Amino acid sequence: MSDAALRTTLEPRTTAVAGFRRISGRVSAAVLRQLTKLGWLLILPAIILPIWIVGTNHGWLPEQILPRPQDVLHTLRDMLASGELAQHAGYSLRRVAFGFGIGAAAGLITGSAMGLSRRVDDYVRPLFTAIAQVPAPAWIPLAMLLLGIGEGLKIVVIAKAAFVPVVMNTSAGIGNVPRAFIEVGETFRFTSLQMLRHVVLPGAIPPIFTGLRYGLTHAWIALVSVELLASSEGLGYLLVWGRQMFWLDTVLVAMIVIGVIGFVSDKILAVIETGLQRWRIDDVQ
Amino acid sequence: MNVAAQLRTTAVPDHGQGRLEVRNVSKSFVVNGAPVEALRDVSLDVAGGEFVVLLGPSGCGKSTLLRLIAGLEPEFRGSISQDGNAIAGTSLDRGIVFQEPRLFPWATVSQNIALGLKNAPLSDRAKREAVAAHITLVGLDGFAQAYPHQLSGGMAQRAAIARGLVNRPRLLLLDEPFGALDALTRARLQVELQRIWAHERITMVLVTHDVDEAVLLGDRVIVLAPRPGRVSRIFAISAPRPRSRTDDDLVRIRNDVLRALGDGEEDGSGGTPISGPA
Amino acid sequence: MSSSAALGSLGRGLVLPIGLLLTWEVASHSGLVNRQFLPPLEHVGATAWQELASGELLEALAASLRRDLLGFVFGSGAGVLIGLLLGLSTIADRVVMTWFNGLKQIALLAWIPLISLWFGFDEMAKVVFIGLAAAIPVILNLVEGIHATSRKLVEVGEVFRFNRVQFILYVYLPAAMPSLLTGLHLALIYAWLATIGAEYFMAAGPGIGGIIIAGRERFDMDLVMLGILVVGSVGFLVDRGASWLERRLIPWRAASALA
Repeated sequence: MSDAALRTTLEPRTTAVAGFRRISGRVSAAVLRQLTKLGWLLILPAIILPIWIVGTNHGWLPEQILPRPQDVLHTLRDMLASGELAQHAGYSLRRVAFGFGIGAAAGLITGSAMGLSRRVDDYVRPLFTAIAQVPAPAWIPLAMLLLGIGEGLKIVVIAKAAFVPVVMNTSAGIGNVPRAFIEVGETFRFTSLQMLRHVVLPGAIPPIFTGLRYGLTHAWIALVSVELLASSEGLGYLLVWGRQMFWLDTVLVAMIVIGVIGFVSDKILAVIETGLQRWRIDDVQ
Repeated sequence: MNVAAQLRTTAVPDHGQGRLEVRNVSKSFVVNGAPVEALRDVSLDVAGGEFVVLLGPSGCGKSTLLRLIAGLEPEFRGSISQDGNAIAGTSLDRGIVFQEPRLFPWATVSQNIALGLKNAPLSDRAKREAVAAHITLVGLDGFAQAYPHQLSGGMAQRAAIARGLVNRPRLLLLDEPFGALDALTRARLQVELQRIWAHERITMVLVTHDVDEAVLLGDRVIVLAPRPGRVSRIFAISAPRPRSRTDDDLVRIRNDVLRALGDGEEDGSGGTPISGPA
Repeated sequence: MSSSAALGSLGRGLVLPIGLLLTWEVASHSGLVNRQFLPPLEHVGATAWQELASGELLEALAASLRRDLLGFVFGSGAGVLIGLLLGLSTIADRVVMTWFNGLKQIALLAWIPLISLWFGFDEMAKVVFIGLAAAIPVILNLVEGIHATSRKLVEVGEVFRFNRVQFILYVYLPAAMPSLLTGLHLALIYAWLATIGAEYFMAAGPGIGGIIIAGRERFDMDLVMLGILVVGSVGFLVDRGASWLERRLIPWRAASALA
């Protein structure tokens, strides 16, 4: 009886025609919105590019300060065509993949243990806090003395950078699953494994993913710094090299590639994150 | 009725009558280093299939008593047993519905209900049928795939009731389940709960501070007095069911109960404690 | 119960660090590990004392902190202005925000070569880089805080017929204050990271980072470890100080968290 009333208020009945009109209206409105957004987006380049082009062509801006945009494009095309860029990016990507993979896996294990067991947290927390205080790039000189300047150094520094935020967010996420939800599990006599699988992990996924995304960002910062200080290949090295040769176009190309890869990898994690928590999608809108 | 038939086929073996015995139960908490007495020497018998309401102002320990019966608080003095077996921890024989629906936000309505059957000795098929039947029982057909945030407060509480019932417990504990709902939804769900209780023929213990709700639903209303929580009066309500709020007998009893609550507040003692069934 | 439990957890927390230091000491003295890699603790202590006594360490620390503070003040100041503009002006937000979000994806230290090309290697370049590091989190958090201002609060302002300035002063800024403080907190952390980074890569003039780099070049493990210890301690104190200030400045957030 009351259910019918509830349902009609929740889903107002619409005729097929009205529904269709609404949907088609929504589609064209969405296209229009995207176009407007693109228009707004193009305003800034439309202002900056002409100034940049005119300024560099007339020599108001010396080439040591800003190369001509067409030179940057040219360098980008050359480096793409010669495969040089792909080679450097490949080195960097491999380092980040290994370092982040190891650091994040270790971070998930350590953070889960700390979140699940008060005792483990007691033992590990102070040492962890001490290590976390020194940012990953600052460890590089010490790590160079201990590990040399090979691949091991890069992986360790990147792994450390990813490890810290993953541990912090995982342990907090697991520790903060509301007591109320745990009690529901208790009334169903959940085993520890069931509690973990059905209550603790789903509840902790949002903060764990936040940790992974921070971890990836920090891994990239660590990669660039370790390649700046101790490497003969990779995007960071490209930066140093361009800097030494006063090739600003090379520096700018390297920065753009670093930015694009950072952007894409962050987006990938964001997509996985939304996929894993469909139950939150509507909240976001 | 179709639903009833479905429920009968999925029912787990009978676990007893759902009788409840609470004997001389006392419970203290430590708050800021000082012990606070929440319950003092509470005794109570609930017959199988009975609907008992624990009524009292905040701080009278009624929710604590319910949590003790549920097995959520392991430490107390005295004894609590269901069908002659002392309770130890939580059990699938006792369902509980909390004040907040406590639905897992990451699971749909049907997944939330199905989680309650994780440790039930049923086949997957029987579990699916039980979930579907209980969604129908609480009137949530069409919302099985909805996530909790898509439900209104009343619908979420219906889902929580279905989750509390899905194990076919002989005893269902309800901790102010309608406390957070608006008056209209609350009245509607009270009627629904009466229907479900009549349909399932199980024991229910409801905690509330709403006198109207107590006299509408209870076979007996146990009035608790606060600080420390203890039984102050027991009202037996024999009005026939289904009941109506405007029934003269109910209105009279309601006034008696209100007066009893008022006495308790004024002189602080709440009269002579009575225990055992009235 | 609580005091003995706290004591117990404190004791447990000391097990790993003390065990680690003991292993270190034993390994170093027994010759199991080359002393050059793992100098005995007392050597590190002696180096610390020497550096302190000569005043070199304190001088370097003062230089680093001065840089850090200067960069933080300029960077967060600029960040607040830019953040206000982006947060309050729909036009600025539409024109700039997407580009800004792209720009912030460039890993922080990748800016160093460009900045050193533009500003050289001395103080100016370092402060600019530290300022950049501080500005980014301030801008992001302030914009987010302003955008997240509850529609309900804005409606209250509409009922009172607030003008633009009143809206900013009495609605948007107070509502965005917790976010802004989070941004400033992050800015402090990133500014310190940037200070060390700037000193590593633009190693001119005194500074803690310079000491560490010099120590590495001389294979002076004592000095490197000492420097890293100082970096960590400053980072720790800055973080704690910021948390404390944050709690002080927005008491209403603490109250709502308790309720």
